[in-house]
Amino acid sequence: MVSLPSTERANFNERKLVKKALETFYGLGPQASARIMAKYTIHPQARLGTIPAKTITSLTAELSNMTIENDARRIVQENIKRLRDMGTYRGRRHAMGLPVRGQRTRNQIETAKKLNTLERGGSGSRY
Amino acid sequence: MAGQNCWRCLYRPSQRLLLAPLSTSASTPTSAAFSTSASLFARAAEPIRHTRSGKRLVLGKKKKVQDKTKPPLPGERKAFRKRIQLSNDNALEVPGLDVLSPENAVDPESIGKIVGIPAEVVDQLRACEAFKSSQNWSLFRSPHMLVRKETVDLASQMTSAIANKETLRLVVTGSRGSGKSILGLQALATGFMNNWVVINIPEGQELTTAATEYSTIPNSEMFSQPVYAVKLMQAMHQTSHHVLSQHKVMLDHLQLPISVTRNMTLAALLNATKEPEFAFPVFQAFWKELLLPGRPPILFALDGLAHIMRVSEYRSPAFELIHSHDLALVRMFADALGGKTAFANGAVVLGVASRGNAPIIPSMEKAIAQASAAQKGEEIPARDPFFRKYDERVFEALRGVKVLDVQGVSKTEARALMEYWAASGILRSRVDERNVSEKWTMAGGGVVAEMERVIMHDLRAAL
Repeated sequence: MVSLPSTERANFNERKLVKKALETFYGLGPQASARIMAKYTIHPQARLGTIPAKTITSLTAELSNMTIENDARRIVQENIKRLRDMGTYRGRRHAMGLPVRGQRTRNQIETAKKLNTLERGGSGSRY
Repeated sequence: MAGQNCWRCLYRPSQRLLLAPLSTSASTPTSAAFSTSASLFARAAEPIRHTRSGKRLVLGKKKKVQDKTKPPLPGERKAFRKRIQLSNDNALEVPGLDVLSPENAVDPESIGKIVGIPAEVVDQLRACEAFKSSQNWSLFRSPHMLVRKETVDLASQMTSAIANKETLRLVVTGSRGSGKSILGLQALATGFMNNWVVINIPEGQELTTAATEYSTIPNSEMFSQPVYAVKLMQAMHQTSHHVLSQHKVMLDHLQLPISVTRNMTLAALLNATKEPEFAFPVFQAFWKELLLPGRPPILFALDGLAHIMRVSEYRSPAFELIHSHDLALVRMFADALGGKTAFANGAVVLGVASRGNAPIIPSMEKAIAQASAAQKGEEIPARDPFFRKYDERVFEALRGVKVLDVQGVSKTEARALMEYWAASGILRSRVDERNVSEKWTMAGGGVVAEMERVIMHDLRAAL
């Protein structure tokens, strides 16, 4: 069981891909995880059990220096809050849970209803 | 025989058969009871309903049968996919065939003969992964090969170069399925029989498709692949142990993290570490030792040349793509192939440009065309003046190489091959002049893989 900093999940299975483990953090996607892995010369198919403990420690240190998880969620929420406080159109759309980017609302606004909230990302939500 | 296990999909029905059959509800007592009130009370759990009281939806009548079979262990499917099976008891044994020997391999008289591979050489070839699972070794009783004109040509070039302590740098090209990898295998077999030190990289793509671990080499811009280096050293130790244990370490390797004693043999040096951290420095030390005068001759072979002539899929810490020639192991081969490494005891550097999954590398094609023209004494084809993406490093790595172009076998060789297949029981039709000629033509002029495909087509049609 390999331990990386994570709020919900304390440990990862050692057979998990390093790339997948890194991408479970809010704020890290394919680009960011590829860059982190290249920095520590970890190949894309690496599993957590194969990388040495010293590299895991440096990865942990690296992750704690990046804005991920709650820091990243807060940034997004602050942006939406700023829009709402200014009284903009976009802020109102976020508040109402409707599409923001000028889409038509005649049908199929499921994604907007799901994601466009003031508490975007929430705590523990994926998006 | 392992029960009724499916050999294609690793399904193990024998596990299922071991499960007890699901028992039905034990509402009926198995032994005669004094009183029947026990069974009456049990049955009274379902209330008695009138026949006209209508239907009710009852969920959960059927229980989902849980799959209690054991899935394959991690790594088992891969091992199964890559397994090499060299003998098949269903095939007939073909008596009276010669065995490959150092004399056989260079003798022009043995062109067109089927020879067997000696057992120790088979073990060595298996250890260095020379057999490929896409080849048809598993159809025959024991591994045999056809000695082609190209085999004798290659073997005699190799032995004469080693005898003169020169370096032979050769690239084997040809169309798809023409037998380049098998020719590489024959070269390795010759190397083993002549007691040379054989270094074989069975798949160039394993080094460049970012499939193994990599790490930076301090104080240089190159990268090492430690886990692959360990694997290579173990394979070399297994195959060339008897040759390497006769030579002792001569240089002082003070910078190595492991201790190198005075009386250590080269074989022990290879086996000194299995830790990825120390593996590559040890391999570099071994390579330096091997280049000293007084060592055995070297055969350095690599299959899948196209993969090492391009930018790899690894990324540097600065997130730039790494060129394969910046990977240290590949650089060793590229330098050897390009003539930059000085071998004191004679060496053969062999690159097989196999076509399976091979990328198109214009620089490599141009370089090989130029080398081939230079060899034949023709006019050297010029580079395309409007093509911007020529890679200089590829041209350097292929500077002055010899080229062996492998195309179809001749009709005599095709006949020998078909007679062997018929004697093994795989080919059911008559082997006469007309049939051989027909199969030879259908195979695009004797390309061996196409001949095999044509024969299998006949076999499937006959079934």
